[in-house]
This record gives sequence, structure tokens and C-alpha cells, in this order.
Amino acid sequence: MQVKIDTRPLVIVIAARWWRFPVFMLMGYALYYFYSQAPPEGLSVQGFRALIVFLACLVLWVTRLLPLAVTGLFAMVAPPLLGVMPAKDAFAFFGSEPVFFIMGVFILATALLKSGLSARLALHLLKSGSKSPKRLVLHIMLTSALLSFVMSEHAVAAMMFPLVVIISKRLNLTPQGGSYGRILFLAMAWGCVIGGIATMLGGARVALAVGLLHEAGGGTITFAEWTRAMLPIVVVLFVFCYFLLTRFFSIDIQNVAEADSAIEEQIRDLGRPLMEEKFLGLLMIGAIAGWVFFGMQLGMASISILAVVLLFMFRVVEWKDLQEKMEWGVILMYGGAIAISSILNSTGAGLWFTKQFVLPHLNSPWTLMLALSFLSILLAEAMSPSAVVAIVVPIGMSVAKQFGLDPKVVIYAVASASGLAYALPMSTPPVALAYSSGYLKMKEVLFPASLMAVVSWLTLLLTARFWWPLLGIHVGG
Amino acid sequence: MTNIALLKLQLLYHGIRAGQNLPAPLANPFGLVHLVLPEGLSVSVHLNENGAESPFTLRMEGTQFLLDIAGSAPVSVQWTAPLRSYHQKTSSGVLVSDILTVHGDFIAVHPTHACRFGESGLSCRYCGSSRDISQHPPFTPRDLVEAIQILEQEKRCDVVCLSSGRVDTPDGGVERLEKWVTELRKHLDVLIALDLVPPESNEWIDKTYAIGVDALYYDSDFFNPNDEPRKDFEKHKSRQLEALEYAARIFPTGAVLSHLVIGFEPLEETRASIDLLIDRGVVPVLAYFPPYGGSNLRSKWTATPEDTQQIYAHLYERLVRTRINPHWVQQYDVVLTSLEGRFFSNESPRYHLRLKNFYETRAGRALRFGMARLRRHLRVREVPA
Repeated sequence: MQVKIDTRPLVIVIAARWWRFPVFMLMGYALYYFYSQAPPEGLSVQGFRALIVFLACLVLWVTRLLPLAVTGLFAMVAPPLLGVMPAKDAFAFFGSEPVFFIMGVFILATALLKSGLSARLALHLLKSGSKSPKRLVLHIMLTSALLSFVMSEHAVAAMMFPLVVIISKRLNLTPQGGSYGRILFLAMAWGCVIGGIATMLGGARVALAVGLLHEAGGGTITFAEWTRAMLPIVVVLFVFCYFLLTRFFSIDIQNVAEADSAIEEQIRDLGRPLMEEKFLGLLMIGAIAGWVFFGMQLGMASISILAVVLLFMFRVVEWKDLQEKMEWGVILMYGGAIAISSILNSTGAGLWFTKQFVLPHLNSPWTLMLALSFLSILLAEAMSPSAVVAIVVPIGMSVAKQFGLDPKVVIYAVASASGLAYALPMSTPPVALAYSSGYLKMKEVLFPASLMAVVSWLTLLLTARFWWPLLGIHVGG
Repeated sequence: MTNIALLKLQLLYHGIRAGQNLPAPLANPFGLVHLVLPEGLSVSVHLNENGAESPFTLRMEGTQFLLDIAGSAPVSVQWTAPLRSYHQKTSSGVLVSDILTVHGDFIAVHPTHACRFGESGLSCRYCGSSRDISQHPPFTPRDLVEAIQILEQEKRCDVVCLSSGRVDTPDGGVERLEKWVTELRKHLDVLIALDLVPPESNEWIDKTYAIGVDALYYDSDFFNPNDEPRKDFEKHKSRQLEALEYAARIFPTGAVLSHLVIGFEPLEETRASIDLLIDRGVVPVLAYFPPYGGSNLRSKWTATPEDTQQIYAHLYERLVRTRINPHWVQQYDVVLTSLEGRFFSNESPRYHLRLKNFYETRAGRALRFGMARLRRHLRVREVPA
């Protein structure tokens, strides 16, 4: 880090640094005002207050006035403070299974990064890609997508980014000169985004959505069920994305052989696979098999935590590594999201809100499906996918109940759509990283990204219409 | 009636002779007698340094101190007893006077004992390095903190100024002083000034402000007429001016200062240098340090107190017009400050005097210190390298 002195006029500096305080004061006043009001007809006092907390969390998650994790903590402490429920009940939501599943998955991803196994896999997947410019694009996309099947897309992007930077430098690509560099960074980012929805490991939003479903008494979705439901979407989007990147942007380079030598050098630098890497590879295969075949019986969290215990038994990672590299805040955010969603459900606030404000505008399960998926894709461009899930899923499940619709449909729709953000740097870390390379200009990305979003939405709807019924998932209507 | 500012310059130029009935010790360990002239002007003046030639004699009549001036009526002055703290020691046994020098509420420290002026072989009236530098024992940041704490029991001090001494490194000396600044910030509620040379890149200026420095004295060697001209003089001068200008944007208004030594160059050049600095937001501190009698530089000295009046008036008027805060010039007993230049001008100093008086109150001090901290808190940001 280096220091920078902000030399703007002090009034502007103060406004830029402290604008949150008046906003917090305003929010505090609004909370107090609503708290002191009588609840609307048909809503209990507890339900009314739960709704106030939810709306406050919604504002905080959307605006990021507080870090997502801190809003998660607020969501846990506010209900007991406002008398919605006893503290021990509110905090008990933090102990739900999905929270521990997410924790285990994150620890495994950290181990993959730390051991160098993920980088080795990426380099070997990229290795044969340097025969032609188009093939290199395909390999970068494929590597990013495949790795996002088994680890968080954020971690994959963080690992792939330096490799793509090295390749770009070896090819003498510059942010100003030509569009091939732009294609490579978009291939990395969008590859991660598309691959990230394939399994429950690509992003923790799926586990969070499944957790919300479970807490609302809607059953669960297994690892295999999720993957089966998503595969057609992933395949179609992958193919479309490849053609869009290689047709929309001109490929202004003839030879990418230099990329090959860069990848070879990186592989040479890694040396032979270490014992830890081999063990970790086996462990990951075992864990995925466990989630697929025994997820229902043993529980997803049990398998992921068992894998973590084995990691430590064989000393693949040290606790110190986790302290430094893990996104612990995400766990807190999920605990809070599950808590507030469950409270909305148990107090009847979600149902009341849905009846009053959502149902009058929807006339069939399909309009719900259209609205939820569209809203999720739209919100995901500006918000963290997990925040989108935390906000949209509770409402969506309440509406689904009214239509007699299986709430799992809501989970499939929202958890996948909220991962499909392509355009804005604040949407997902892979896209943000691609922008940070300096090769992307928003005005040049906006149109192809919008095309990707529209095609993603249509593909999701078509999959729901034709593929999901084959798996026993019926949207109805 | 005597012009008080002119009297101060004359005292700095001639020194004083000791008359009758004076208390002992009269001078501090650095040989300076501290007097307060009418209108509250402080001056630290050398005792008999110019032999019998000084037209000023200090004497005591009853409880009153009088300054006899050859050919004029005596002037009533106040005498301030030398600080007892100078003779105390820190827990590691270092004498406080070996660590710091006090000028009013301003503490001057040379942690490395390498005063740039003192290195020339001349006595430095400002920092106390006038004594043989090799005689100073080394001291640590902890000693400095203790010395200031000892001093604070006797008198209030607002600003500590640390000098880097001569440096040739790209940072201009800030790295050398960082640990001292950190230790002071950790233990004391004071404003910190650094006396450095302009660094080679502006990042060092950012860092200087970020580590907790409130004011800067950048001594630009291109003003020094005694140096051999450098081959890259123009480039060097341009970089130093750029650094000064940049620092003036980073630090609070008036908190970047630069010494200009009067007397070794024609006064018109000094006037041009004043304009050069003020145009860049830098406050010139006119150092009126006449070489002592017997020094080979005494003959090269061309600025009599009477000659320099217009220069001080010019400095004061330029500062007032450009609205640069003149309150950071604190070593007001060994130089004539820009604000004291008002005695040579017709422009009203009312606003600045009120502010100066306010800063001397408990509330003013708290506000000044608080604003300095708040400003840093707001303006300093950490960004990825």
C-alpha cells in the first residue's frame, strides 16, 4: 500500500468520507419512526418489526453502506433488539447447515489456491490452447469455466488473472492497441461467470439459497440435482459466449505461439506436483463424489467439513493460511441472510408483504418465473449475487406458496440468475478483475454484455420450460 | 519613538552587553539572553558576542530591566530566566540541553546533531549546535520524549521541529526522522515540524504528511549563494521549486516554510526569492543571522538592520495579500517573523493578531491541534501500490 493525499477542497473530502453518517442517522430515524407505528392490518407486531429489519438490511445490502458481513450481523441482532424473537432463537440460525457447507467449500478453495494445484490445473488446461488465437480464447474460457465447477468463481478469477496478464504481455498486447487483449480478459471473466452456476461450488449463493429453502421447510436440493438442472444453461451460454467473443470483437492477431512458451515457463516454474497437491486432488474428487452420491444421507455440510478435517490431518493447509486468505466475512453475511429470511417466514411478514405488493401484479407461476429471473439478473449487475439471493428468495418463496408452486423453482431461478452478471465492475469479482486489467472500456463491453444477459435470461426460461420438467421440476401454469 | 521590530533586528545584529545588578545565570546554556520587548516581541540575543561595540546594555533597576541604547532613552524590557529544565537529565542520563533548544513555544531538535548551518563551522543561533558537535552525546527517541515531558512541566510547548541535517538521499531526510516522529506522536500531544531538503519525488512529501508531520521547513540550497554552482543548477532549482509547490498543496496553508538567509546577497535578490516562494504558497522565513564578530564571513555581510526594513515590510504585505497563514513561524525569538514585519508596514494586522492571540489560549490550542489531526485523518488515504 502507498499513501495518497486527497487535495480536493476539505468540504468535498468531508462529504466523500462522512456522507454515510447522515444517511445512518436518517435510517435510524426511519427505523424508530416505523417501530413506533402500529402494524398494518393483517400483520402482527413481530411481523411488522421483522419487515422493518428486512427493509433496513435490503437498503444496507443494496447500497453497501456497511460491509455485507456487518449487515449480516445486524440482521441477526436486530430481531431480538426489536423484540421480534428471543436472542437465542435468532442466533441459532447461524448454526444452520448451509453456513457450515459454505465454510467447508471456502476452506477447500483456499487449500486449492495455496497448494498451487488450481494453478497447475489451469496451466495444463491452457497448455494446448496456443495453436490459434481463437483456440486460446476457447481454452481460457474453458479453463475458467471448468475450474469454476469445483471452486468459487472469485478464487478462479483471482488465480487466472495473473496468467492472462502474463499471456497478454508475451503477445505484446496493450490496452490501447487492438481488441484481442479485451477478448482474453472477457473470456476469463465470463468463463468464470458461466462455469460458476454449474455446481454448488461455483459460488456460495446456491448454498445460501438452498439454506433459505431448508429453513423455510421447503426441503433441499442435492448437488447432483442442481448440476443436472443447470447443465443445459451452461452449455448453451458457453457456446454463445465463445461465438460472441470471437465474432463481435475482431481478432487482430495472427500468431499466439508466444503464449505457449509463457505457459510452458509457468509450468516449469511450478516443478513436480507435491504430495499435498496429489492428496488434495484425491480429496476433492472424493468430496465431490460424496456430495453427489451421499449428500442427502450424510448432509452436504458434513461432507465438506469432513474434507476440511482431512486437510488438516494431512497438513495440506495451516490455520494461519486460512486466517489470511479466507473470506470469513461471507460466512457472517450468510448467517444473517438465513436468519432474516427465516424470521420473515416464521412471523408471516413475508406472506403479508407478498399478498399486499407482489401478488396483485402477478397472475401465474410463469409470470413469477419471468419476474424473478429478470429481477435477479438485473440486480446482480449492481449487487453481490448473495445479496440478491438474500433479498429476492424470501419474497419469491412466499409468492410461490400462494401459487401452490414448489419453492425449489424459486431457488433454481434466483440462484442461477443472480450469478449471471456480465457488464459492470461492481457485479462480480471476475468482471471487476477483468476491468482492472485496463483492457476493458465500459462502453465497449456494455452491448455484448447486454446480449449475454438477454440470452442468459431466455436460456434460463427455455430450460425451465423444456428441461426442468424432465427432472421433475415443474413451473406450472 | 523606537520601532520595536527594528530594535529586535539591531539586537540580533549587535548583541548586548551585560550591565549592573543582573541576575545569574543571565543566559541559557547556548549563551542567549531571552528578552521580551514592548508589544510582546520576543528576542534571544547573544551576550557580548560583539565585544564592547554593542550599543545595547542590559541593566536592572529595582525589579525592572532596562535596555540602555547609546544616544537614546532606555527601553523597559522583560527578562526571562533560563529554563531550569536544560540542566535536568533523562532517565538514560542525557542532559536536556544536549537534546533540544527552546524558542518560545517551539522546540528545535537535531536528532543526528548535524545542523546544516553548524556544519559550515559557524555557530548556529537557532539549534544550539553552536557548541562543538562532537561533544553531544547520542540520544534516542525515548530520550527526546522524556526531555519534552520534563520541559512541559516548566512551560508550554506547541511545536517540535526535527531537523534532518545534511542529507543526499532521494527522500530528503524523512526516512531518517520517521521513527522520531512516530515516537513523538505516540506519547505527546504536540505539532510536529520537520526541517528537510526537498525530496526527489513527490511521493516522499505525501509520506511525510501521512506519518504525522504538521509543517515542513524545506531548505532549498539554490538560495544559498555560498555553494559552488551545480552543473544541473536549473534542473535542480526547478525540481526544488516543484517540490515546494507540491508540498504547499499537501500541507495546510502556511505550513510549508523555507529559510532565506539575509545579508549574503543583494536585498533585491532576497525580495525576488520572497516572491518566488510566496507565489508557490510557501512562507519565507527570513533568517537574520549576522555572523559573529571575528568570523571571516562578517565582512561579507551587507545587511544592516536599517537596510532590511523594506524587505520585511514586503514579506508581510505579500503574505497578508495572498492570505497565507503566517502562524507556523514559531522560532520568533531568533528571527523577525513575517507577522512582526507589520511594524514596517501600514497594512493592518488585526485579523492575524487576533488569530495569534486565540491560538495562545487553551481553546485555540485545542482547536489548532484538533484541526491538524482531523485534516490528516480526512486527507490521508491508503491506496494499492
